[in-house]
Amino acid sequence: MDMAPRQIVAFGGGGFSMESGNPLLDDYVLGLTRAERPRVCFLPSASGDADHYIVRFYRAFSAHRCEPSHISLFRREQGPSDLRRHLLSQDLIYVGGGSVVSLLGVWRAHGIDSILREAWESGVILCGLSAGSLCWFEEAVTGFHGEAKRLRGLGLLPFSNCVHYERGAKRGEAYHRFLREGMCGGYAAEDGAALHFVGPELSRVVASRPQARGYRLDVAGSRVVEMQIATTYLGDRDAVPAAPLPEALSTAPAA
Amino acid sequence: MAVDGVRARTGTPVRRILALGGHEFSFRPPDRAVCELLLRLAGEQGGERPRICILPTASGDTSEQIAGFYSAFGERSCEPSDVSLFRLGRRPMELRDHLLAQDLIYVGGGSLVNLLAVWEAHDIASILSLAWRQGIVLAGQSAGAMCWFEAGITKSSGRPLAAAGLGLLGGSLCVHYNNEPERRAAYLDAVGDGMPGGYGLDDYAGLLWEGEGSPSAVTARRGARAYRVSKGGGKVAESPLPARFLPAPAPAALREDIAEFRRIKTMRKRAGWLG
Repeated sequence: MDMAPRQIVAFGGGGFSMESGNPLLDDYVLGLTRAERPRVCFLPSASGDADHYIVRFYRAFSAHRCEPSHISLFRREQGPSDLRRHLLSQDLIYVGGGSVVSLLGVWRAHGIDSILREAWESGVILCGLSAGSLCWFEEAVTGFHGEAKRLRGLGLLPFSNCVHYERGAKRGEAYHRFLREGMCGGYAAEDGAALHFVGPELSRVVASRPQARGYRLDVAGSRVVEMQIATTYLGDRDAVPAAPLPEALSTAPAA
Repeated sequence: MAVDGVRARTGTPVRRILALGGHEFSFRPPDRAVCELLLRLAGEQGGERPRICILPTASGDTSEQIAGFYSAFGERSCEPSDVSLFRLGRRPMELRDHLLAQDLIYVGGGSLVNLLAVWEAHDIASILSLAWRQGIVLAGQSAGAMCWFEAGITKSSGRPLAAAGLGLLGGSLCVHYNNEPERRAAYLDAVGDGMPGGYGLDDYAGLLWEGEGSPSAVTARRGARAYRVSKGGGKVAESPLPARFLPAPAPAALREDIAEFRRIKTMRKRAGWLG
């Protein structure tokens, strides 16, 4: 039997949390599972398990299209008692936005960090936006609170990551500075763009908005080289569907 | 920070912690009595309009806990604020400066394990320890009470288990003591198995440390008690502590506009204007 590929879809921002009425990114990650009724577990830890957020998840991932569940680490007396078993039985784990610093702290306290690695290695698709995107990388740029800061993520992907990478955003400048100061090279994504990794390689960039883009950033000497990555708009009728991706595709920079 | 507080009077700050077994921010008499004690302690440090800040971290910064806090203190003579670590994105603040400017820091209930983990991630523990040494009163209920001790009994993982706190106070604490028998049983077992002894607190019972020495027990509800729990001669002993009763203050007078609104509503109801 073939091992299921390890997949992570890191949204720059988007999905039901940010794009009410635009389900393209959420549909994309559901499609990747190739399951008729995928099991989807929402981890709202970065929001402090905010009730309104959990309700919005269940609205977006309704029971007629998937088997939704969530884990509240602030209310462990409810919900599944065996976190590992529950998470490893999913097709898709969806991590919400909020404070990435708090997210990583709470995950470590409950051993979620190592369970997620195990889930990824066994083929459970991991995705998320904002804090739920930064967490998968070696290093991340967080602008959640005050000045942009550099922090360590779970390190499943050996790159750095920056979300909400809109033109003129302060965190873009900070990302460039961190790279010059020795941060490992990596990727940035605008709101609406999502970086799809198969194994540790970027497979493609997809988007829920026609103009949203992903970027590759590296340091050459003391210079930061930023390349726009060709991005597939998921709203195009002839967009490549969420086909099985045996190998990483090229990450050719767009002009 | 007030100049006429405890610090200025005595020269050296008095370290004070109020640990509460459990309460809510309601307008029921025992809850009002607890809030009155918090206000009094804050006032001894900060004068007429003390600064009181809630850290709702253990709940995941629920709106419910934050709103409850403001409804209890918003109309009183104090400056209430909240530090919501999960919501800093929408409301950035200098955590250290804000916390060290308080007269009383109140920690709400929830998950003790998550509380400690999030505080560690944001480096809050060292700020709270400094606040305590500077004379800022530290207070809290449930997880927000156990966090000051070396250890507590938490249901952060579902069933009651021992978990570490910040350790500003030696020994351990078990909250909701007779209100949650399975928690008390887990505590007695843990102390029997070598966890440092300490205290059990029923809902509406509290322990107040002021400077060195033993704490004094308080209770806001008849029958709610504080217990000393210790191991001696291979057995775990539990002894109730004498406690001072905290009477509930009269309900705060309604603000003029609220009172007016209620009068009009009553009149309308009588006249059949409203269902």
